[in-house]
Amino acid sequence: MRQTYGKQLPGMRLTDLPGKLIVIEGTDGAGRSTQIKLLKPWLEELGHAVLDTGMTRSRLAGDGIRRAKERNNLGRVTQTLFYATDFIDRLEKEIVPALRAGFIVLTDRYIYSLMARAIVRGMDPSWIRSIYSVALKPDAVFYMRIGIEELLPRVVFSRGFDYWESGMDLFPGQDIYEGFCSYQATLLAEFDRLAEEFKFEIVDASADASEICAHLKKKILQIIDPARVPAPASSLADPFEDSLADKLFANLSMTRPSLPTQ
Amino acid sequence: MGISSSIHVGPYEMFYPLKPSVSSVQPYGKHNLPGRLFVVEGIDGSGKSTQLSLLHKWLEARGYGVVFSEWNSSPLVKDTTKLGKKKKLLTPATFSLVHATDFADRTEHSILPFLKAGAVVLCDRYVYTAFARDAARGMDGDWVRDLYAFAVKPTAAFYFHVPLETAIGRLTGARDGFKYYEAGLDLGLTGDPEDSFRLFQGRILEEYEKMIPEFGLTVIDATMPVEAQQAQVRRIVQAHLAQAKELRVKA
Repeated sequence: MRQTYGKQLPGMRLTDLPGKLIVIEGTDGAGRSTQIKLLKPWLEELGHAVLDTGMTRSRLAGDGIRRAKERNNLGRVTQTLFYATDFIDRLEKEIVPALRAGFIVLTDRYIYSLMARAIVRGMDPSWIRSIYSVALKPDAVFYMRIGIEELLPRVVFSRGFDYWESGMDLFPGQDIYEGFCSYQATLLAEFDRLAEEFKFEIVDASADASEICAHLKKKILQIIDPARVPAPASSLADPFEDSLADKLFANLSMTRPSLPTQ
Repeated sequence: MGISSSIHVGPYEMFYPLKPSVSSVQPYGKHNLPGRLFVVEGIDGSGKSTQLSLLHKWLEARGYGVVFSEWNSSPLVKDTTKLGKKKKLLTPATFSLVHATDFADRTEHSILPFLKAGAVVLCDRYVYTAFARDAARGMDGDWVRDLYAFAVKPTAAFYFHVPLETAIGRLTGARDGFKYYEAGLDLGLTGDPEDSFRLFQGRILEEYEKMIPEFGLTVIDATMPVEAQQAQVRRIVQAHLAQAKELRVKA
C-alpha cells in the first residue's frame, strides 16, 4: 500500500496503485526537463506507459497561476496556496489515476520544490508540511544539484533573467542579477536541507546531460525492474521506510536557515 | 501533526501562531493591528448578510472607516473557482484549496492592510464557513484548520443560528433553483437538488454547532425579528469599538 506524509484525502484509495512515482527535483535551470525528455521515450521503448507532469500544468489552476503571476500582485500566502491547488488537482486527477493504471509517473518537481519556495518566502515550515501531508510518498527523488556559479551562466546566457527565478518578489530592492544570486542561493540551501531530511538521491547536475541520463536510467531500472538489475540492497531501500521523514514532518519546531541579510 | 492544537487563543489575538522561517518577514500572528474585524456566519438563508449590511451602514454613519470583504470574491482567484465550478472539476480537496487561496488573497490585500490602517473590516463568511463546508465534504478537520492558520482572528464572530427548515423556507421562492456545489450535489448524496441541499446544509449546520464552543462564536437567534437581532449585534460591536479609530471621513 502506498503511503502519504500523514493525512489521506477523502476518496483517495491508497491500495492498488501499482505504478511508480519518480520525482526529478532541483532548482531552476538544473536540467530537470532535459532529463525527463530523455527518460520518457526510453521508458516507453522499454514498454512502460509514462505520465509526465509538472508545476502549473493542472487543468484547474495552471492558467490561473500564470495570470496571477503576470499581475505581480500575488501575495506570498496566496501564491503558496495557489500552487498547492495546482498540485492537489494534478495529484487527484493525473498522478493517482496514472499510478492506478500502472504508469510510471515522471514528475518535474514535487512537493519539495513547493515547500522550498514557500519556506524561502517566509512561510512557516510546519504550515507548509501540514498542507502537503496529503501527498503520496514517491518511489524515488532524484535531486539534480547544481552550484550557483554553474547555474548562473546556464540560465542567464540561455534564457535571460526571469522575475520569479530571481526572487524579485522577495528582494525587490536589488537589481535582477543580485536578486537571482540571493534567491537561488537561499533556495539551494533549503533544497540541501530537504535533501537530507527526505533522503533525496543526489545527482551532480553539473555533469554532461548524457552522463546524468545514463546514471538516472540505471537508478530507475532498479526501481521499476529490480529483478533484472542486481543491485546492493541498500540502494533499493525505500528512503522513507524508516519514517525519518515522518518524524521530521511531525517535528514542528525545526530550525531553518535564514536569508542572507538584505 | 499539525498546529491546530494552538488554535484556542483568546479574543483580540490573531488567529494562529504562524512562525515564519525568515526573520525579515513579520509573522501574521504578531501584527499589532489597530483595526477591528467582525464576521458573520451561518447557513444560507440565516439572514447574516442582511444583518451585516445593516451593521455596515450604522458604522459608516458613526464615522468609522469600514471595509467589506465577501467570501469567494478575490479577483485573482475568481476565474479558477469559476472554471472549477462550471466544469465540475472540483473535488473536496481542490474545493477547499481554491477557497483557501481566495481567502488568502483577500487576507493579504483586503483584510490585513486595512486592519493595520485601523479600519473596521466586515466579512460576510470567514474561515468557519470553510471549516463547516469542507468537513461536510469529508475533509479532515485538523488539516483544514491548519490550512487557514494564516487567518486573522476576528474581534467577534457572529453565528446566526436558524433551524434548517426556516432557512429553506426563506430560500425557496427567493432564488431560482439550487446550485451544484451549494447544494452539495458533488457528494452524490441524492440526485434531487432540493433534497441534496437539505442534507448538505444539515451537515453544515452540525459543523457550525460544534464550532460554537471551539471558537467562541457569538450566537444570534436568527429567528428573532431583524431589528432585534441588529440591536444585539450593534450592542456587542459597540463594546469592541471603545478605542477604535474614528475616521470622520466627512467631518
